[in-house]
Amino acid sequence: MARRKIPAPRLRKTWFGYPRENGDVGARNYLLVLSGTLYANPTCERVTRTLRHSVAITHPLGRCQIAPDLRRTFETLVAHGQNANAGAVIVIDHHREEGCTADEIAHEIAKTGKRVEAVNIRLSGGAIESTAKATRIGMEMIRELTREQRHEVPVSKLLLGLNCGTSDTTSGISHNKATGWVTDQVIKLGGRALLAETTEMMGGEDILAAKCVRPALGKKIWAMVNKMEADILACGVDLRGSQPTGDNIEGGLSTIEEKSLGAIQKAGSAPIVDVIPYSVRAKKIPGLHVMDTPGHGGESITGIAGGGSQVLIFSTGGGHTINHPLMSTIRITGNPVSAKLQRDTLDVDVSDIFTGTTIEEAGRRVYNEVIDVASGKMTKAEILHEDNAFAITRTGPSV
Amino acid sequence: MAKVAMIIDKSDNVATCIAKVKKGETVELMFNGRNSKKLKARQNIPFAHKICIKPLKKGDQCLKYGLSIGSASKEIKLGDYIHIHNIESNRGRGDLEGN
Repeated sequence: MARRKIPAPRLRKTWFGYPRENGDVGARNYLLVLSGTLYANPTCERVTRTLRHSVAITHPLGRCQIAPDLRRTFETLVAHGQNANAGAVIVIDHHREEGCTADEIAHEIAKTGKRVEAVNIRLSGGAIESTAKATRIGMEMIRELTREQRHEVPVSKLLLGLNCGTSDTTSGISHNKATGWVTDQVIKLGGRALLAETTEMMGGEDILAAKCVRPALGKKIWAMVNKMEADILACGVDLRGSQPTGDNIEGGLSTIEEKSLGAIQKAGSAPIVDVIPYSVRAKKIPGLHVMDTPGHGGESITGIAGGGSQVLIFSTGGGHTINHPLMSTIRITGNPVSAKLQRDTLDVDVSDIFTGTTIEEAGRRVYNEVIDVASGKMTKAEILHEDNAFAITRTGPSV
Repeated sequence: MAKVAMIIDKSDNVATCIAKVKKGETVELMFNGRNSKKLKARQNIPFAHKICIKPLKKGDQCLKYGLSIGSASKEIKLGDYIHIHNIESNRGRGDLEGN
């Protein structure tokens, strides 16, 4: 009897999100309560503890930074307010630090067309009065936000974030490959994906440069890797000379090329259409975008959220607990041991790749999770409030 | 149960062993979820390390993911364990650069 192959079900080409005035589409419709400076963090947290449907973004920066470094903080905070997952925003500060005030941040966010309010602790009459003021504004905002409905939108409205962490020898051959398959589908459907982690590109620069649609973009990749290396060398550490590390070699990685090739499997096979600085909004060009970020997971995914990603695949060997407060973070693994030990942490298990499941089958499982999460399904980290990964990468010392 | 080594791209000349392999043991190669041919390991190979599936001459490119991960520093036979003792990076040699 001839074996009949059962065709794989068609991939969903749409998801359900919140269309914004500027053409972006949110996967969430949160009220974002954004801390302008670290000294406003407790007020932000009091507000979001009171208000259902709100998330806080707090951080240790916004004061005593040299100008370019403060600019980076400012731009990253603005970019988070602009991220389509925030339906409305309240920015809180305690003092007027020129170049990074709540008013200045709110002014930039307002350009997206979403509702934004700035609250200053001092001008509102202190800790309790500013909390009351922001809570009241927030409650009214949430009343409006929760009237909005999700609409069916094409996958082309998705900017899929890509990151890996606690990588191991299963990474390049299982979960990063499955992620790469998803990336390819999103891009085939006119969507965008964002690859980051400059340190992971070391050794793979020529391969990435060859994937660029223009030679000038390839030069940018070389330049950002060289700069990262030089910055680290200035601290007395030769990253390249010590790559791959002893752990990597013990794990089976023989060369730096092998290590970086494993990491960039997440990006699939599409060409690179743009290379952008840290936390800068990705252009609306369909295809694979690359952002210059450190390998530090929290700083890297903060850059990606600033780039405008609504959903991120975090591909992990060891079962990383990372989660961004605003951008939905789907954690996947192909490591069967991590899948068991970290089952409360990981959203998708693709470890059956090692027992005969194809990359496509595993990839479809991850793709479905991306579409579901973009359409409102909560990740485990969202349900558990694991908001641990907002970290702005710095360019200078504190003063 | 047969020991399995995974081939990632069809042009690869290495496969990744997904179990610890002993010298003389038979390794079944798997590509895209399907088992293909079998070969004998010529040395012990640790979990997640590489086995040679197409012979390499000295200087040949060692391919994984369909791309070069380095070049053979000596002749490598079918079933050989591949690691830092017989392949070397084509770049990123901090120990050789800038001297």
